[in-house]
Amino acid sequence: MEPSQVKSFAERYLDAFGCRIIEQRPGLIQAELSVEADPDLVHRPFYWMYVEKMGLNPQTSTLTWVFDREEAPQGIPAERLSFGSPRFQQMLHSARKHGRFIRLYEDTPRPVRSRAGSKPYDPWLGVNYRISYLCDRKKEEILHFGIHLRTGEIIENFYSRIRDRNWNPRLPAHRHILPPLFTVAEAVGELEYNLQGYVEQQDMEWARDAKEQLNRELERLHAYYPEEWRMSDELHEEKKQRIRETVWQYHPRVEVEVVNAGLFYLDTPPV
Amino acid sequence: METIPIRMDRRWLNEFEERMETDSGWSTWDRFRLALDAAEAQKVPDFDTLRSLSTLQGLTPLPHQVETARRVLGEMRGRAILADEVGLGKTIEAGLILKEYLVRGLVKNALILVPSSLVLQWSRELNRKFQIPAMAQKKAWMWDRYDILVASIDTAKREPHRSKVLSRHYDMLIVDEAHKLKNRRTQNYRFVNEIRKKYSLLLTATPVQNELSELYNLVTLLKPGQLGRQQAFSTHYIAGKRKPKNEEQLREEVRQVMIRNKRSDGHIHFTRRNVENVPISLYPEERALYEGITRFVKDQYHNSGPIKSLLSLIILQREVCSSRDAAFLTLFKLLKKGVTGQEELPPDVYRLVNLLRRVERQAKVEEAVIRVRSLKEKVIIFTEYRATQDVILRHLAAEGIIAVPYRGGFARNKKDWMMELFRNRAQVMVATEAGGEGINLQFCNHIINYDLPWNPMRVEQRIGRVHRLGQEKDVTIYNFATQNTIEEHILWLLHEKINMFRMVIGDLETILTEMGTEGDMEQSLMKIMLESEDDREVRRRLTDLGESFSEARKEAEIKKQEREALVDGTQPG
Repeated sequence: MEPSQVKSFAERYLDAFGCRIIEQRPGLIQAELSVEADPDLVHRPFYWMYVEKMGLNPQTSTLTWVFDREEAPQGIPAERLSFGSPRFQQMLHSARKHGRFIRLYEDTPRPVRSRAGSKPYDPWLGVNYRISYLCDRKKEEILHFGIHLRTGEIIENFYSRIRDRNWNPRLPAHRHILPPLFTVAEAVGELEYNLQGYVEQQDMEWARDAKEQLNRELERLHAYYPEEWRMSDELHEEKKQRIRETVWQYHPRVEVEVVNAGLFYLDTPPV
Repeated sequence: METIPIRMDRRWLNEFEERMETDSGWSTWDRFRLALDAAEAQKVPDFDTLRSLSTLQGLTPLPHQVETARRVLGEMRGRAILADEVGLGKTIEAGLILKEYLVRGLVKNALILVPSSLVLQWSRELNRKFQIPAMAQKKAWMWDRYDILVASIDTAKREPHRSKVLSRHYDMLIVDEAHKLKNRRTQNYRFVNEIRKKYSLLLTATPVQNELSELYNLVTLLKPGQLGRQQAFSTHYIAGKRKPKNEEQLREEVRQVMIRNKRSDGHIHFTRRNVENVPISLYPEERALYEGITRFVKDQYHNSGPIKSLLSLIILQREVCSSRDAAFLTLFKLLKKGVTGQEELPPDVYRLVNLLRRVERQAKVEEAVIRVRSLKEKVIIFTEYRATQDVILRHLAAEGIIAVPYRGGFARNKKDWMMELFRNRAQVMVATEAGGEGINLQFCNHIINYDLPWNPMRVEQRIGRVHRLGQEKDVTIYNFATQNTIEEHILWLLHEKINMFRMVIGDLETILTEMGTEGDMEQSLMKIMLESEDDREVRRRLTDLGESFSEARKEAEIKKQEREALVDGTQPG
């Protein structure tokens, strides 16, 4: 992430978490953290325990960040916020922790004629998956799937297709939801089945390579240690451990995690 | 090929359904997008690019260090011997590799085993340069509490620590100074062998010291079977103790698990060292004091008078070359000794004190002030004595030159603070300590050796603070030497005879070891200074010492070439 990206992320974070910006200049932000953001960004568990026990009004921290070495103003004690700085990593972590599940209703700005009666919403489930391809190495990708909870239709890039719409967290007046025909659990089952198909179609060169490497390493171990009946208990144990380590290091596998997910009630199908 | 296991994480579904049931705890659209952007930023998009490079703050690894990390992760798949020559940054390479695995989420916990003297330095470097939250292991409870620990190998291998270490799985194990694992019968070797680990780095500048079997042991510890069974290895590769056969094949095998960058590879550019000797002529009063002390020392030595500690005698002589104040302190102690012993105070000591009182101007410190002023750039002045340090600081202050002190006794924070002051505000740092960690002064390129240590290693440490990786300018070393004193002899030996100021420390250590007892230069010099009747004898004996240094140097060079031939294919010259 470039300094400008780090800065804009920090601005969005402060805004989303209700922090008070005290000063904002090119290359510098000073902000007073909110009660929600403070424990995530500033490590002081004992303070928060104490505040809670005593029922006190918490004093949150004020932090000053600069983003670019060149632009940093002189004479102000500030920490540099960059992609690698521990504070920014905490911010990323905090953002992920608090943005997991949502339920939103599309907000279409047009007069709703009450005479026409209530207008229905289509229910969709959107899930953002992180897929990790693992052996002794690792590669990840993030996939944005959506599934229509009435038809079971699955579409890719769901998120980017609905990203620019307007949302309302509450069901607006004179609106109703068409009843889902799939439960969320069923829908997730469909998504996972689909995902499995996706993964299996990927280039698995890396996995073949890891598997071959694993076999070579195991062969090497078998060749190195003497025949079973010649080995002392100690040596036997050592060989078993080396084999376990080798498998641990190389065996190829895929792990799928959910970054976040939401129920989206749409006016029009995603395009 | 058979299918690959896929693990779907479904723990989230319960939480999601719970929110649906209770209709509460939903996040907002802003936060949802933020979370997804955060995940995108943290994603590892491919197998090979070094992600950690973009996360580093204030550290730019050198090309050969980046290349090393790349090869360890790619070709060697996380198990390697890092065998760079001294001074090329093995620690940086190891830190970079560890960081990359951490960033990729492939390493969650790591153990770094080092000699006890390096525990703090390692944990500080990992924290500072790589923002890796490494803790220095001190207490037994810490084994379970922290994910990344730096521990002394000698502590870790003993109970109660040992069983703690052996009960865990480490994603990564790093062992520094790994040549201490060359013998597979030792406790160290067996301990490291028992540790359960996924990735492993062994760091050593000398993968082979004496025998080929050392290399075999090291490689076998890392990857059992890489060089076959011991018996087969011996018959196939060993012709004699240090003589291999089937060299090409051996090298190929070793190259798969070991990386060795060398200074001579040329990918590191070291700037030049210039040396300027600055002769100082003493004022008559200073001269009188020096002569007085020299005579006193000789008399004491010959008569074995009341002061028997030869060490303090020679020190007195060295001190007086440094400053009046340094000598005064020692004289004062000698005086006090006399008083408490309730003996007659030796009249010659009184005479010396009187001589000392008459010294008002000191030629050396005046020269230092002139130099500093004419250089107009940052200068570090090294002296052996606290009292001299004060004198220099006083004189610089009187001239309005900003200078900061640096001593071994300072607490860590104070040391850091002084370094910062020197970097940002002061023109001069006056230091009594050159060894130890943390003084990296690449931003300064003038060194004044106000007086000279008699131990060449210490001389090299001084220069090494400034002339190191990251120094962009040529470095100039000014050696102050008072004329017609023992200082001049020492400088003559170090500069003319052993060409001290142009060498690098790794070589020096081997050479001194090669010299045997004579290699304890401080002792050898002291003997020469005490026993010699006159300057002619001093010079003769120093010449001899210089000769044996040259011999040792040649010997060390031959041995080194033999080793190099084994590990990286350089032909013996």
